[in-house]
Amino acid sequence: MRALAVAERDLKRFSRNPIVIFASILMPLVYLVIMGNSFQGELKHLSLAVVDQDNGPYARRVIELLQAMRDGPRTLDIVKLSDQKKAVDDVKNGFYKGALIIPPRFSEDVIKDVNPQIGLFLDNTDSISAAGISSAVSRSMGYLKSEYVSVRATIAKTQFRAVELYKKIDYDASLVPGIIVMAIFMGTTFTGAFSLVMDKFLGIHESYLSTPLTKMDIVIGIIISGVFITTLMAFIVMMGGMFITGIKLAGGLTSFILLIFTIVLTALGLLSMIFMVLGRADHPRIVGVTIGFLNVIFYFPSGAVYPIESLPGWLKAFAAVNPEAYAVHALKALILKGSGFVAVQNDLIFLAAFTGIMLFFATITFKRTM
Amino acid sequence: MAYAVEIQNIIKKFPSVTAVNDVTFNVDEGEIFGLLGPNGAGKTTLIRILTCIMKPTSGQAKIREFDVVRYPARVRRNIGVVSQAMTSDLDLTAWENMNIYAKYFDLPKKQRKENISYLLKIVELEDRAKDLVATYSGGMRRRLEIARGLVHRPYILFLDEPTIGLDPQSRRVIWDLLQKIRKETNLTIFITTHYMDEADVLCDRIAIIDYGKIVAMDSPSNLKRSIGGFDIIEVSLSNFTPSVMERLKAMKFIKEVAEKEGALRISVEDAAKSMPVLIEEFKKMGVSILYLAIHEQSLEDVFIHYTGKTIREAEAQKVNMFLGAGVPRQLPGSRI
Repeated sequence: MRALAVAERDLKRFSRNPIVIFASILMPLVYLVIMGNSFQGELKHLSLAVVDQDNGPYARRVIELLQAMRDGPRTLDIVKLSDQKKAVDDVKNGFYKGALIIPPRFSEDVIKDVNPQIGLFLDNTDSISAAGISSAVSRSMGYLKSEYVSVRATIAKTQFRAVELYKKIDYDASLVPGIIVMAIFMGTTFTGAFSLVMDKFLGIHESYLSTPLTKMDIVIGIIISGVFITTLMAFIVMMGGMFITGIKLAGGLTSFILLIFTIVLTALGLLSMIFMVLGRADHPRIVGVTIGFLNVIFYFPSGAVYPIESLPGWLKAFAAVNPEAYAVHALKALILKGSGFVAVQNDLIFLAAFTGIMLFFATITFKRTM
Repeated sequence: MAYAVEIQNIIKKFPSVTAVNDVTFNVDEGEIFGLLGPNGAGKTTLIRILTCIMKPTSGQAKIREFDVVRYPARVRRNIGVVSQAMTSDLDLTAWENMNIYAKYFDLPKKQRKENISYLLKIVELEDRAKDLVATYSGGMRRRLEIARGLVHRPYILFLDEPTIGLDPQSRRVIWDLLQKIRKETNLTIFITTHYMDEADVLCDRIAIIDYGKIVAMDSPSNLKRSIGGFDIIEVSLSNFTPSVMERLKAMKFIKEVAEKEGALRISVEDAAKSMPVLIEEFKKMGVSILYLAIHEQSLEDVFIHYTGKTIREAEAQKVNMFLGAGVPRQLPGSRI
């Protein structure tokens, strides 16, 4: 009987918290939709730069077949460039997933049957996309073979030489940037707005509402402490992740400074966003539910665990405004490739703009009075 | 003379209840003013309006001539607040709590140090200044919060139920502390309480609030006088005779004398003034006093007179709110 009384109390409390009930039902469904669409999709629209230094008939044929991959299963997005160096640099800077170089005299080599070769430079820090491109190009060569069995050439001997631009990176190592972003997000769950919600829950906030502190003082102050703790956490997680997966920072001092800056900016952006969402919440339970929800919808479509290219259109559109996607992209470039400013400038611009907008709304939605 | 607090026709309405209903009064500089009423009467709502935590629906309130709605930043610089809920950070030491709070008011380091040392000494916590507040008793924590409320040397100190939840000894310590602070600094103190004895001991003037309305306001002694009735002196005498009774009845300051089971109940207007005269008269009559007790008019009597119920009955009707000081989730027709 006593146990039933305990159960009755618990059930009544649960039933009188509609947010928790709603979240309990909604969360598994959100997981289903987001995670389901994040992992199972086919890779599409992998960007491939093609440099044709041959301009011969077989080079054109190779490009036609690659374009067929674009028009058919839409695996590849082909961009023609003229400069090999620029193409490879653009891959390093994350603008393309790979660069296909058709060397001079390729057609001639095909015709003469003297071991014709095509170069394929791959961004192997994204191992899944790299494998996807490699596979798509290989399949194209297969079609080339079947269509061009002729008396003049033995195209079967054409080889493409895949060049991995970076030291081999295992899948677990490629997760490190995503784990750092997750650490930043987790940091926002018990700092920042959470401190404010706990103050409200305990009634402590009255002690500072009656002081000269302005809205801006409170918002900025809480975010500063959140950024400090979150950055420190992210840094420790980064070191731990690198130790466990055995990778080292690929870049130099500039890359390292950009790395810290990216972490701070990401922390600022996420803390501001959480502040905007939870600035008026008054119960820690609301924080738990909201954080769980946001974690799913931001983390999985961020490219942290699977390429954004595999996402369906609606989720890819969301990824385009997902701050974690930009953070993951920048951290991958800085940690795994040792890239410079050019590779992450778009990410930093987005994160800065996102932070500014979120901070603005966090301040105006925060209520200074009860 | 400028008033420390001026309140004119303040109304605060929530969706289904009026918490503060057309309240008007002033508080003089240097006085201890008490707002007395049951939990849920509107005391906390009014104090929140005066401390710029909540905006009134209508009406005007000024602290040191600064309107609380138009000049909240100036008001905040002039007030110290001790909330009903314990609001000091448990994870910080007393010194850290006060130091951070003083920084909110832009106090320079030297002044912070001086003020904190002085105030911790006043509240007798200087030996525990470096201890975490989590190790403090409720009374110590409340003393710290009073010190913290004074760290920027405010013009007026607001205390919302400062002794709620404290044991009688700790309550007495807080009362002594507030009287000492007033004596040393001539600070204006605005206090809300539902304890009759607290209001009686501490306050120069009291406003009784019920259902959001001020029903009476004056000094404790005037309030008690205002309701009529008399103080009672109960006395047992060694050799009581009818002639003693006759002589007592003939005295002008005695309103009524009754005898019950050998004890006399003597009704007078002011027991404190009447006592010495009465003792002298008993000496002249040659009777000695075996037992003597005084029952003065209390604020409880005043509260009953003006509200028609005891304060405990009034509290029984309160809305269940977090710490009795939340923004109410009203039920239709419920009180604040």
